[in-house]
Amino acid sequence: METRTSKLVVENLCKSFRTQRSEESIQVFEGISFEVHPSEFISLVGPSGCGKTTFLRILDGLIPHDDGEILLDGKAVIKPGPDKGFVFQESSLLPWRTVLDNVILGLELQGVDNRKARKKAERYIALVGLAGFERHYPHELSGGMQQRVNLARALIVDPQVLLMDEPFASLDAQTREIMQAELLKMWNQTKKTVIFVTHQIEEAIYLSDRVVVFSARPAKIREIVKVDISRPRSLNVKRNKEFLDLADHVWSIIQEEVLKSMGREREEGIL
Amino acid sequence: MKSAAKREPLVQAWLRSSRMIAACSVIVGIGIWQLAYEALARTHYFKDYAIYHFLASPLQVIQTFGDLYRSGELFRHSYFSLLEFVYGFLLAVVIGIPVGFIMATQKKINYYLDPWVSCIYATPTVALAPIIMVWFGLGIFPNSLVVFLGAVFPILLNTYTGIKSVRRNLIEVVRAFGGSPMQVFFKVMIPDAAPAIITGLRLAVGRAVISVVVAELFGAEAGLGYMVYFYSQRFLPGPVFVGIVVLVIFGILTFTLLEKAQGWLSPWYAHQVKRQTHRMEME
Repeated sequence: METRTSKLVVENLCKSFRTQRSEESIQVFEGISFEVHPSEFISLVGPSGCGKTTFLRILDGLIPHDDGEILLDGKAVIKPGPDKGFVFQESSLLPWRTVLDNVILGLELQGVDNRKARKKAERYIALVGLAGFERHYPHELSGGMQQRVNLARALIVDPQVLLMDEPFASLDAQTREIMQAELLKMWNQTKKTVIFVTHQIEEAIYLSDRVVVFSARPAKIREIVKVDISRPRSLNVKRNKEFLDLADHVWSIIQEEVLKSMGREREEGIL
Repeated sequence: MKSAAKREPLVQAWLRSSRMIAACSVIVGIGIWQLAYEALARTHYFKDYAIYHFLASPLQVIQTFGDLYRSGELFRHSYFSLLEFVYGFLLAVVIGIPVGFIMATQKKINYYLDPWVSCIYATPTVALAPIIMVWFGLGIFPNSLVVFLGAVFPILLNTYTGIKSVRRNLIEVVRAFGGSPMQVFFKVMIPDAAPAIITGLRLAVGRAVISVVVAELFGAEAGLGYMVYFYSQRFLPGPVFVGIVVLVIFGILTFTLLEKAQGWLSPWYAHQVKRQTHRMEME
């Protein structure tokens, strides 16, 4: 294990925002460090508002960070690019483009030949189980289908790492479970390194090799929980004692953090 | 879907269609106009005055249309008005869209321009028309300027709102996949703002037609507005109505054309609107 090089290294990452009204800045992260192995599935969980999504945007290079370093395959991340695939929350498809045209976006921006891009897109649309829907517009698809397109759009650029920002948050419980199982299937086929942000503890444990638990703001890593449940995992895994114990453990950390941040807000007079 | 056996006969379906009803409504309206004319002409009130100095019947309007068409007068006036409309409207597009875009994207410039835009927008163009005549005299150029002033603001303001309301998450998508600022502009901002910009163009058409007439009322040597004014001063309502009818037809045609353009340029948008109206009709 130690001889393998890490896919992604996050070293002492810090970020603060200046609020518009006052001159004082809000510290979002303080010294976040962890390493991700190739083809590993990592989830980030934490109390709401702790900056998980901001963290993911920084990993993609969409937002600059203040201090520390992000290394992807040994190279520093400074701006977005096709080496990272971003899967956004709901309704991020371009509504004036068909499924096919949405999926080729990443290739189009790189200037890939249109015919080649379309061929490739058809393959990825089939991979996410949407063959036959190439000419549909996003508003003609259900929420789950839209997120499949979203996933195909990120996979087609063949990224080194897949960054997923609560992609199933707006789906109903049944669709969400199906999408989780399908995501694992696709992950197994593509062997991508995945960083998955979610607020659902169950989802994080079911999908991941390791779950990174963030503290309340300013966010630090509270604990990295290893999920030793054998793969492939069926949805029934969620009822195992092992699984439930892990979920309890993660939940207790987050609960502690939520209470802590509520206490602080009361002191500061926000609540 | 109805089953084939229960489907209405085609003729009956056509009679019940919304287009057919609209056509009937217009024909009945014109019929009432004709009858009212005949009835009024027989009242004792018009015993001493000739009614044709005050009102023209639809039949007379058609006849006058033929006369004016044959003499070439109608063509001459329409040609002048059309030129004023085209020049003024094109200028409004060429200025309105870029300025609206700059105001939406450059905060500092917006601070300078916003008060001016608000002021001139609030000014009735009717009030500006006479002084523009004083400055530039009579002719196509000053009239086009009035048309420009009337049409530019709906275009400018709709472009502004259109660009302002471009969804930020969509911009972020293109950026996340490595899109350059140019690509963000062409692949997100323009298509996302297009429906609003075209709505601005549609509103501008109506105001431009009004401005053509207003400008010609104040001073012109030719044009449909001038024709309407000229003949009403001489108590000849026939040509007056011909002028109005031509203006109405022109307005409807341009408006419909832009409505179609909205469909071609952003099919997804037209599709959504159509679905919504369809749903409303169902309820």
